[in-house]
Amino acid sequence: MPAQDLMTPSTSELHVLARRSELGVARKYAEDVAAAFGLDADSRYEFVYAVNEAVTNAIRHGASDEEDMIHMSITADADRLTFAVRDRGTFVMPEPEAPEVSEGGRGLALMASLVDEVDLHIDPGGTTVRLSKTRPSEAETAQANGA
Amino acid sequence: MRTFYIGDEMQVQDAGEDLAILVVGGEVDFEVSPQLKARMMKTIKAGRRRVVLDLSDVTFIDSTAIGVIAGAVEKLDEAGGGSLAIVCTHDKVMQIFEITGLDSVITVHPSREEALAALAVAG
Repeated sequence: MPAQDLMTPSTSELHVLARRSELGVARKYAEDVAAAFGLDADSRYEFVYAVNEAVTNAIRHGASDEEDMIHMSITADADRLTFAVRDRGTFVMPEPEAPEVSEGGRGLALMASLVDEVDLHIDPGGTTVRLSKTRPSEAETAQANGA
Repeated sequence: MRTFYIGDEMQVQDAGEDLAILVVGGEVDFEVSPQLKARMMKTIKAGRRRVVLDLSDVTFIDSTAIGVIAGAVEKLDEAGGGSLAIVCTHDKVMQIFEITGLDSVITVHPSREEALAALAVAG
């Protein structure tokens, strides 16, 4: 990725069919952008994980069939990477009291745990999920490395 | 990126016919979790009541696969009771188990030997 003015956000987009087989493509896209942005290995894993959950949710609940499209974008600004996925469905809120052995309802909690901010925007045309991961400061990185 | 696989069900000599080991590797996501579910249900239907799910070679496991594993625990309960033990050595996969609370309902072991030892007691 060419050097860029850190004050100017840059955005890339990816549009895929709403198929399970596209999940690996979405993860690779998130991984590549996060690596170019300079997230460390742990942060990259967490960002990619949250992206996978958001795209999975879009495929499961936001598409009427496999010919629907899932629209993704990632915006990088000075210290923050923001992923957005938009679909045509209505976000399904998990049951707050679901037992730990239930089969579903963990995606949102995982996203919230792994990135710094999760934003859900539901409108009559569909749902947009935004996930933001902030690049650790040099001081935080040094502290994490035991310096 | 590691390709998903499930090995053939393995049994341990002299450990009883109700004990089985399933080895899974690679990235376990919404695309492949139906395969994991089918295999685990087949194992339980075949009468296995003590199951080691060896995830040592798993590098990624999403919420749908976590749901499949939780569902297998429920299935064992419905079948009259049983034990499921997980083997996990990957730090980030372990982190996912902790966030979802799966590690509070299924014991996670650092090696297959320890998982088998725990299930031998359970048997």
